[in-house]
Amino acid sequence: MTAVLPAKRPVRPGTRDVSVQIRPVVRAGLGVLLVLWILAPLLPVVLWSVAGVWRAPAVTPDTYSVNAFASLGERATLRAGLASLGLGVAVAVVATPLGFLGALAAQSLPGRRGRAVDLILLAPLAIPPFALVLGANTTLLRLHVPAFAGVVLILVVTALPYTAFMYRSALAAYENQFEDVARTLGAHPRQVIRHVRVPLLATATARGFFLAFLVGWGDYVATLLVGGGQLTTLPMLLGAAASSTGNEQLTAVLSLSVIIPPVIILAAFGIPALTRKAVA
Amino acid sequence: MNHPLPGPGTGPEDHQGDTGESRSQRPGVDRDAGRERGLVYRRSVLLALPAVVPVVLVLGVSLVGASAQSLGLMPFIGPPVLSTRGWAGSAGELAKSATVSAYIAAASTVLSLVVGFAVAVYILAAPRMGRLVAGLSAATIPIPHLIGAGAMGLLLSDSGFLHRLLGMPAAFPALVGGPWWIAVISEYVWKESAFVALVVIGSMSRSMTGLCDSAATLGATAWQRIIHVVLPLSVPALAVSALIVFVYTFGAYESPWLLGPTSPEPLPVRAVRLFGSVDLDARPEAMATALVSVAASAAAILAGVGILRARRNVR
Repeated sequence: MTAVLPAKRPVRPGTRDVSVQIRPVVRAGLGVLLVLWILAPLLPVVLWSVAGVWRAPAVTPDTYSVNAFASLGERATLRAGLASLGLGVAVAVVATPLGFLGALAAQSLPGRRGRAVDLILLAPLAIPPFALVLGANTTLLRLHVPAFAGVVLILVVTALPYTAFMYRSALAAYENQFEDVARTLGAHPRQVIRHVRVPLLATATARGFFLAFLVGWGDYVATLLVGGGQLTTLPMLLGAAASSTGNEQLTAVLSLSVIIPPVIILAAFGIPALTRKAVA
Repeated sequence: MNHPLPGPGTGPEDHQGDTGESRSQRPGVDRDAGRERGLVYRRSVLLALPAVVPVVLVLGVSLVGASAQSLGLMPFIGPPVLSTRGWAGSAGELAKSATVSAYIAAASTVLSLVVGFAVAVYILAAPRMGRLVAGLSAATIPIPHLIGAGAMGLLLSDSGFLHRLLGMPAAFPALVGGPWWIAVISEYVWKESAFVALVVIGSMSRSMTGLCDSAATLGATAWQRIIHVVLPLSVPALAVSALIVFVYTFGAYESPWLLGPTSPEPLPVRAVRLFGSVDLDARPEAMATALVSVAASAAAILAGVGILRARRNVR
């Protein structure tokens, strides 16, 4: 490789030496800067989560403690965690199949009608979530829609663009030949669905489900305004802690409890695929 | 729903991808094909309904409800009385809020594009370190903005982590709650640059590697390759992500609520505060504020799509 490259690149004399000498240094420096940029806001979160006493001029905590983590085991916090999980799963369970149906219809409807379905499914992205919630709130109250159902309904509409888009791109790249081959080989229609169609759409399903789950898991505005205080999720606890002073430890551990579960899912399924793509 | 995918050989859909060749091989199929097409059409419409109905219903109820409430026609209690006070009574405040929101969104969008493009190029150019940056950057995407805002608060506030790292200088600017919304914009750039990088990397094709190699063979430096090859090819991805970032940051509530000054208020903060006010007369103003943000988002999207279309046509 090193023997081939100089011959392939007729670089002007002088510049080649510079690029060979400086580039790895610049590259490493830039890499360190980018890693710092990404980790900078997370560093104080991690430090505060294990800090006991941490007074102002000190750069690192004066004492360390796991008391803040212990507060995660409290009943109210656990209940909030379950509520967040329930909200995320409910939104994903409804929005994923609806996204599939919408994407399927958009693909099979001819011309303008297909585009209209696409446009309707993407429309919630154009409306700020808080505006959607404010406008719908009075009607939901008048119809006596329970808080949880109301939040799920609003968030399903917010999540539909993501799930529909995932299936839309998967269906656009879908090769019908695989199904033809399976059928030629004597597969029963049900076998075709199980062994060809489901595996080929599995990635889109997983991505759509994950994104829809995140919409429910991390929501604040819809839970705040439609939930009306009846629905307490982890983001609600976090919003209360972060908006008042002196709650740094609690803010930090609640942040970690919201961040870590999805990152574990992403690390298990998502990052290998991303880096493979980046390298390719 | 036995055969949800259109495709040859799956029954009624089999004319979907065909050019007519296979149809002509079967006599008397033309009439059947017409009927089958009608069947497929009806089934597709039925398939669309479960997804389309909730969206149309929620969006419709929300926009109609907001409009009616902004005009006093749907009061929480008492008889409806048509009034434009929600709009006219605070036109100046509305304009100020819209300007603040536009400033936050514009600054966040431009900086997210610059940082996101740099991250994407770095991931592509540096093999080992790039993988680390890609992994970390992707890991920030599922973090909700509320948590990002809480973290930025711990980092940038007065006597926060950065202030301590710098040795508590007295001249430390008010990044949180200050006049330039620096903590809010930092939070948006931190989260959205990762999104921009993901979109740009996703859009890069294998042909880009070939073009970069050709440019290198012709003597282009790394910087020249980035500016003259990678950047022009990334413009469509950058434009689409710019539109998404702008509309999102224009209408998001959490960051400016947690990290911004109390006055002036961006549109979402003002609307939610008025909505939660004990004074029910504030409701029409809250709805007017929400509708202004909807209209501004719609205008930004129409303008963005228009520019993208015009660009494509020029090419």
